Formats: sequence, C-alpha cells, structure tokens
Amino acid sequence: MDPILEVIYSTVLSSAPYLIAAYALMWAVMLIYIIYSNRSLSNTEKQLSALEEAITQLESKA
Amino acid sequence: MSNKTSKLDALALPFLIIGGVLIIFAFVFNFTVTPMALGDIEVPEPAMIGGKIVTTTLLLSQKIFFYHMPVAVISMVALAFTAAYGIMFLRTRNTKYDIRAQTATEMSLVFVSMTMVSGVAWTRHDWGAWWVWEPRLITYLILMLMVIAYFILRTAVSDPERRATYSSVFGIIVAVNAPISFMITRLVPSTHPVVFRSDSGLPPLMLIPLLLTILGFSLIAFALFRQRVRARQMEEQVESLKLRLDDLRG
Repeated sequence: MDPILEVIYSTVLSSAPYLIAAYALMWAVMLIYIIYSNRSLSNTEKQLSALEEAITQLESKA
Repeated sequence: MSNKTSKLDALALPFLIIGGVLIIFAFVFNFTVTPMALGDIEVPEPAMIGGKIVTTTLLLSQKIFFYHMPVAVISMVALAFTAAYGIMFLRTRNTKYDIRAQTATEMSLVFVSMTMVSGVAWTRHDWGAWWVWEPRLITYLILMLMVIAYFILRTAVSDPERRATYSSVFGIIVAVNAPISFMITRLVPSTHPVVFRSDSGLPPLMLIPLLLTILGFSLIAFALFRQRVRARQMEEQVESLKLRLDDLRG
C-alpha cells in the first residue's frame, strides 16, 4: 500500500470495532425496547379481553 | 378525544415502519455516499482520493455521530414533553397527563441509553478512555441518573395521586437538565464537539443522512410513545375491570 494512503487510513481499522459496537448496541437497545413494548401491549390486550369475557358471562348469569 | 387518540394510535405502526426505513436508508447512505470526515493530523504529502485532494488522516469513528447526535437530541426533546405533561397534570389533575409524562420519560431513558453506549464507544477510540470527566459528559450523566431516579420515585410512592404529583414536579426538574447539558459546551470550555451553531458546519452529503436519521428516530419515538400510552391506558382498564369482577363475584 502507498505509504501516504497508509497514514491517511491509519485510524480506520483501529476505530472499526468501536464503530460496529456503537451501532450494534444502539440497535440492541432499540430492539429490546420494541420487543418489550409489543409483548406488554399484547399481554394487556389478552388480559383485557379475558376480563371482559368473564364479566359478560357473570352479568348474563345474573 | 377518543377519536383523536385512536387516530394517533393508528399512525403508530406506519410511523414505526417509515422511521425504520429512513434510518436504514440513512445508514446505507452514510457508509456508501457520505465521505469520511477529515482528521486533525496532517499527512506528509497530499493524496488524491475519490477525485478530492486529502491532506489529513480520515476518521471512520466520526460516523458514530450520525446516530449519536440524533438520539441525544431526541432524549432531550422527550424530557421537554415530560415537563409539559407534568405541568398539564399539575394544572388539571387528569391522570392521562401523568401517563403521558411517564411514557415520555421512558422514551427519554431509551434514547439516553443509546446516547451513552454510542458516546462511550466514540470516546474510547478518539479520546483514549471509556469516560472523561468533561462538562457535557458530566451534565448528561446527571441527566441520566435523574431520569432513573424518576422511575425509582414512581415505584417508591404507592398512592396514585401523590405518585403522579411528586413525579410531575420531579419530571419538570429533570427536564431543566436538558438545556443545561445542551448549552454547557457553549458556556464553559469543553472538549466535546459542538454541532449546532449558526450553521451546522456539515457538507450536504453529511447533512442528508443526519437529518434523515433525526426524522427516522423521531417517527420511531412517536410510534413507541403512542404504543406505550395505549398499553398503560389498557392496564388501567384491566385494574378497574378486576375490581368490577370482584364486585360481581361478591
């Protein structure tokens, strides 16, 4: 490799692991939160429909 | 109000998808079209790279900035919403504002975490240390600790009315930290780069992915905010239905 280009690109390889780690960790934080949010919503929806069904049944019996 | 709420909820999924697409597009643009930033170290003689004369080292690590800055800005904007909803709750005592304030703070915590992980990675490479005690980092660390303290406060108070009041007041105090952290690099000597000035100082090829990333993450933040608000409203419904069920069972 051209010695001048070697100097120009000297910090590129050393910074690559940090760059990859930064992007990967940011996406990990975001994806974990999206999954948590979706699961929480879906569990609450299930609970809500189960409760509504139980109340409807009790009210129809009474 | 319910119609307005459902319309906003209906926008959540499209906004999440559009936001994701914009961020991915900006990411690809950033690593294919956007040139690498120039460093401070001059090379012995200039070289021609991609039709341009380069006289300094090139910085790949600067590309962290294209995600780091947008998520930092959104973490602070979310706190502005925390304060606004906190004030609305204190004025009206309507719990829907408390739910929104809590959710906005949760959004802020997510984006603060993203800012921190990207920041320490950049700091480790460019400054040679995982953490540097300099004004921006210190004020942002205080901001992060106060956001965490907000949730500790919420779990510590069991009475819903008192919890909402205390956390509204504390949320406003936390939000005051955002402009302090933002302005600190302009008020006292700091080694942290300053981006927002009279102009961005960025060439168009850097500005495009940056603005797309800000827009993309903003859309994602809005979508997640609506989804979490909806989930919390439904949790409240679940609690009231449980009480009703107990009453019916006698």
